[in-house]
Amino acid sequence: MTSSPGLLAYLLIPLFTAVAIPFAARFRTRMADVLANVTLLAGLLNLSLLLFDPANADSSFSAIPDDGFSLLMVFVIYLVGLCVTFFSTYFMEEGSGVARAPYFALIMTSVSAMCGIVTTGDFFTLYIFIEVLAVSSFALIASGERTGGLEGAIKYLLLTFPASLFILLGVAFLMLTAGTFSFEGVKTLVASGMPAGGTVFAVSLLLLGFLIKSGVVPFHAWTPDAYEGAYSPVSAFLAGIVTKIAGVYAVIKIAIILRLFDVKTCPAADILMFLGMLSIAVGAVAALRQNELKRMLAFSSISQVGYIVLAAGIGTPLAILGAIFHLVNHATFKTTLYLNSASLEKGAGTSDMTKLGGMEHSMPWTSWTSVVALMSTAGVPPLSGFWSKLLIIVALWDGGARIYAVLALLFSIVTLAYFMVMQRKVFFGKPTEASRAAREVRPAMLAPVVAMSVLIVALGVFFPYIYAYLVDTVAARIIL
Amino acid sequence: MTASFSLDWFFISLIFVAGLYGMMVSRSLLRQFISLEIMSKASLLGLISAGAKTGNLALAQTFIITMIVIEVVVVAAGLALLVKNYRLTGSIDVWSLNKLKG
Repeated sequence: MTSSPGLLAYLLIPLFTAVAIPFAARFRTRMADVLANVTLLAGLLNLSLLLFDPANADSSFSAIPDDGFSLLMVFVIYLVGLCVTFFSTYFMEEGSGVARAPYFALIMTSVSAMCGIVTTGDFFTLYIFIEVLAVSSFALIASGERTGGLEGAIKYLLLTFPASLFILLGVAFLMLTAGTFSFEGVKTLVASGMPAGGTVFAVSLLLLGFLIKSGVVPFHAWTPDAYEGAYSPVSAFLAGIVTKIAGVYAVIKIAIILRLFDVKTCPAADILMFLGMLSIAVGAVAALRQNELKRMLAFSSISQVGYIVLAAGIGTPLAILGAIFHLVNHATFKTTLYLNSASLEKGAGTSDMTKLGGMEHSMPWTSWTSVVALMSTAGVPPLSGFWSKLLIIVALWDGGARIYAVLALLFSIVTLAYFMVMQRKVFFGKPTEASRAAREVRPAMLAPVVAMSVLIVALGVFFPYIYAYLVDTVAARIIL
Repeated sequence: MTASFSLDWFFISLIFVAGLYGMMVSRSLLRQFISLEIMSKASLLGLISAGAKTGNLALAQTFIITMIVIEVVVVAAGLALLVKNYRLTGSIDVWSLNKLKG
């Protein structure tokens, strides 16, 4: 049922690894993380060869298989997956409450489920993979020692499981009214004219489900709790990629299928834009007043998801490109920030911002990679976050939503404000008791965040290549 | 056929709303979880009814069977969380989940 059969291997190999890990780890527990890392690294190298082949730019990316969006997403999934597994390999202590074999097997299962989500061609398969992803993330969130993880997992279960039911009802309605639920079928139906009310209702139910899953503002109650309570490397996995693929990816996909911008009568687009703006505002304002680092990052994540949903709501090709690029950037900088918060917990013993200060002296690498990621989130020019926000704001202005464009720009400054406050509290200023005692974490734990920071800078500097990729594959092949 | 179809959806909505009501008013985590399952059964019935109406019954049945398998896994994972929570906190009250806030 996949629309891109070429990408099926990226789904199946992690699944095989997930099955193999418990057997391999039976006698030597370290085999679990070796297997997970090797699988993801091999996949990532393979994908990079496909994506960053210099010959691509000359042949306008004709070597890329049918759907550039899926390929890019698979690349990001593998990238974040590798960073998280590599980090957790060294983050886990021997004899801690987290068992290696199930932990890595669950991570591989969720990588596989996410690849399924991004390569599937119809709503029902999408639903199945989202459930697989949800179940493995319940277990992952609860895997830490602290009871917070359990609480976060239960909240995640009770508040996002109704979303799955809305998606399922949406699928049922789609079967009833449109007679099909493949993306292509719905797309043809919409392209041939304004669809019947029943189809719009069905797709709105699907949209509601995906918005709950992505944690947009009226439905955001579970997001900070799940991110804060989760076992630290799992928060990076969850915030960086899992909830983005489970919710935001599908919202972008629906925006592409429905051609929201062409079908101007469709009020779903207005609601989507309004909710996007609301989450930008609420996320940014709530992040200003947090003291716990992980919680602040969670609210910042809500705010960044708002930008993506806002861009999906306006739905012009430029806005969709901006949304996709922002999704990629969000994965890079949020993973860096969450992994660094895990390092802070390990190195300084706390991630409470009131107890930290002057960390640039004791943990220089952690501090400076965080600063790079923060500046990218806030949209400081040479870095990648600037370009995606620029694309989104220009698309909003062009699409006639000028008030939204101005507001998005203003809240981008609020983003800078709360990150400035956080930087001053945590990384700069006078060292406190906790930070004087802190030591930098080992180099192996710094490697993923340094690699991500380099990628953030590279995505910003080589923006023309990325833009050409997005225009030639995504815009030319699936939007137009 | 038509009469049975509208009757189907009458009961589907009834079951769904009953589940929703249970989720909203109950304070026990276990009851909330049961209500969630009731809602999910309503969605399953909706899918099979839609399949019967459009003549895609075989397709709908395949989906239902897949769905049932997924449901079992979700129930197992959810109950595991609830049981572990009960062992740690000794309570199944929703308001016992109040350690994370800010």
